[in-house]
Amino acid sequence: MRLAANLIMLWENIAMSFRSIFSSKGRAFLTALGVMIGVASVITLTGLGQGARAQVEEDLTRLGANLLIVYSGEPTTSTQLVRPRTTRIRPTLTEEDLAAIKALPENQVVLTAAESTLEGQLKFENRNMAATVVGTEPAYPEIRNFQPAYGSFFTASDAEHRRNVVAIGAEVYRTLFPDGRDPIGQSIRINGHAFRVTGVMEEKGSPTQDASVLIPLSTYRRRLSGEDSFAMINVQASSLEVMYELQERIEQELLGLRRLPSMDLANFYVANQMDVIGAATGVADTFTLMLAGIAAISLIVGGIGIMNIMLVSVTERTREIGIRMALGARASHLMTQFLTEAVLLSAGGGLIGIAAGYALSWALQHFAGLASAISPEAVIMAFSFALATGLFFGGYPAYRASRLDPIEALRYE
Amino acid sequence: MIEIQDVVKEYRMGPTTVTALASVSLYIAQGEFVAIVGPSGSGKSTLMNIIGCLDTPDDGSYRLAGEEVAELDASELAEVRNLRIGFVFQVFNLLPRATALENVALPLVYRGVGAGRRQRRAEEMLERVGLADRMDHLPSELSGGQRQRVAIARALIGSPSVILADEPTGALDTTTGREIMELFEELHTEGVTVVLVTHELELAEGTNRTIRLRDGMVQPAAAPPAPQGQNAHQQSAVAPEGQPRPLALGQEGRV
Ligand SMILES: Nc1ncnc2c1ncn2[C@@H]1O[C@H](COP(=O)(O)OP(=O)(O)OP(=O)(O)O)[C@@H](O)[C@H]1O
Ligand SMILES: [Mg+2]
Repeated sequence: MRLAANLIMLWENIAMSFRSIFSSKGRAFLTALGVMIGVASVITLTGLGQGARAQVEEDLTRLGANLLIVYSGEPTTSTQLVRPRTTRIRPTLTEEDLAAIKALPENQVVLTAAESTLEGQLKFENRNMAATVVGTEPAYPEIRNFQPAYGSFFTASDAEHRRNVVAIGAEVYRTLFPDGRDPIGQSIRINGHAFRVTGVMEEKGSPTQDASVLIPLSTYRRRLSGEDSFAMINVQASSLEVMYELQERIEQELLGLRRLPSMDLANFYVANQMDVIGAATGVADTFTLMLAGIAAISLIVGGIGIMNIMLVSVTERTREIGIRMALGARASHLMTQFLTEAVLLSAGGGLIGIAAGYALSWALQHFAGLASAISPEAVIMAFSFALATGLFFGGYPAYRASRLDPIEALRYE
Repeated sequence: MIEIQDVVKEYRMGPTTVTALASVSLYIAQGEFVAIVGPSGSGKSTLMNIIGCLDTPDDGSYRLAGEEVAELDASELAEVRNLRIGFVFQVFNLLPRATALENVALPLVYRGVGAGRRQRRAEEMLERVGLADRMDHLPSELSGGQRQRVAIARALIGSPSVILADEPTGALDTTTGREIMELFEELHTEGVTVVLVTHELELAEGTNRTIRLRDGMVQPAAAPPAPQGQNAHQQSAVAPEGQPRPLALGQEGRV
């Protein structure tokens, strides 16, 4: 009975609030506008933040999945995974290092590709160009997610027989073969040595990759560098989860080979894709949080707008409040009546704000080309926050209404 | 039914104190039809507010149906107003944005009566005051007399023990005022207790008994001046109609 009466009251409050809201639509709209803008901006801005994060993540995994790179040289605190060319750093990684990494269990290491680079001079017919010459192993395209677009990469047998074969970058192809001739089988000169072209690499949009040529590491050592050690080792881990563990193991193995106690004195270091992703997405997350904070402030301002209008509304309806009290409304009835109204206003504003947020994100994506990823959590959070705002800022006006003196309220002009 | 003993009500306005009710004692039996008259500022409205539990006395005792009102808190007072009192105001006090039907049904909302029953009951009440054809009109679409009928229907819907009307005809012309008075008389013959404040002595004569207020005190009723010290309580103890009749509307419809 009591419960039924309460439910009837609640329903009655909602119906009353709707009536009151619809009796002054323009004003209700303006009241809820602040919350609308607040919710829309929370959704749009966190969507942009998360979109930026997804973009960063995608860009990084495009370098190759689960990638660890062992570099020669002093450890740095840089958060870049792929360094600008390391041609000037003395290569310190050896066959033993590579063998030790290859010997790690299969459930950690999937593929490896040692790599060295130097600046070389290319020549085909009467055309010359400077390019980065990369000596590496056949697993390289797979590990670095850098595949030939045309023709093929060199094979294990090419590497074994130290053949003079080369896969050229897209930029190199354009420069040396401006007439669009089929380059496969053509012979180009690298620092004076003749190499047969086997393929053209896909275009990555990065000059260091597009203006490079890739040859077998064995050939590279014999013909070009004459060095036994190499600059870096690319390692593909079996999964993201094992990457830190694997980094630790590689460091231990290589330190062991060098009889060094810690990384402080090491002449190599390991860059971990997880770190880079973590750093970059961390930045994106901070960015998201900041945007959400700004948006939340606008939501609070919207709440103050609701409070403002609700206070005016309570004053305007003083007589109505007096009448209701004379007819037996309790303080709690009036409190819930005005609270319901505030919450309905903010809920309405919130719903329109959600729609506006989606529309705005869509527009930004389609017309401004920005990445946006709206998560359901952000929407739910923004909406709950809007409701809480209504409840909080509607609370004071509702309290005022409930505390009016019935006689004074009835006498109010 | 209504027992008031030495009730005092004062308003403090800065340094001065306005005494609205100096010391009022009176008794109104169930089923009585009583008029309260007196000059402007004599405390009639103040007294009605106290009887209607909208206000509480500063001193003295007020018992409604045997219950001491001073001991009730705000929400219990609201409940008493809802269950036992029906107000009719001089300025009607209808909700401007609600229809006649919704206005009449309002007291039942605060009793938690469902919409269907509320509506049926409100329709009955509007028929009862002769407004069956005006149910969906807004107050602004009704004449003054019709508005007051709506207000009376609203006062009646909760089957109150007492109807309190503070100058219910004050805003109406004489003919309409008389029609409203007839409605009150009808209620009275059905057994509802009616307390009426009025300026017009002619209207007061239509009631069982007239209580005169002056300067916040009840004046002796009889034409020959009553001896000092005889108070209103003793006077009205000789209730005019003896045994009060049971309320016609009082029992059914209460939730
Ligand atoms: N809220 C208030 N604050 C201060 N004084 C008040 C208040 N209400 C009433 N009074 C004073 O109490 C006295 C009685 O007022 P009340 O309204 O009861 O008179 P009344 O008999 O109803 O007069 P009228 O016939 O003009 O309606 C008056 O002097 C009035 O000024
Ligand atoms: Mg008065």
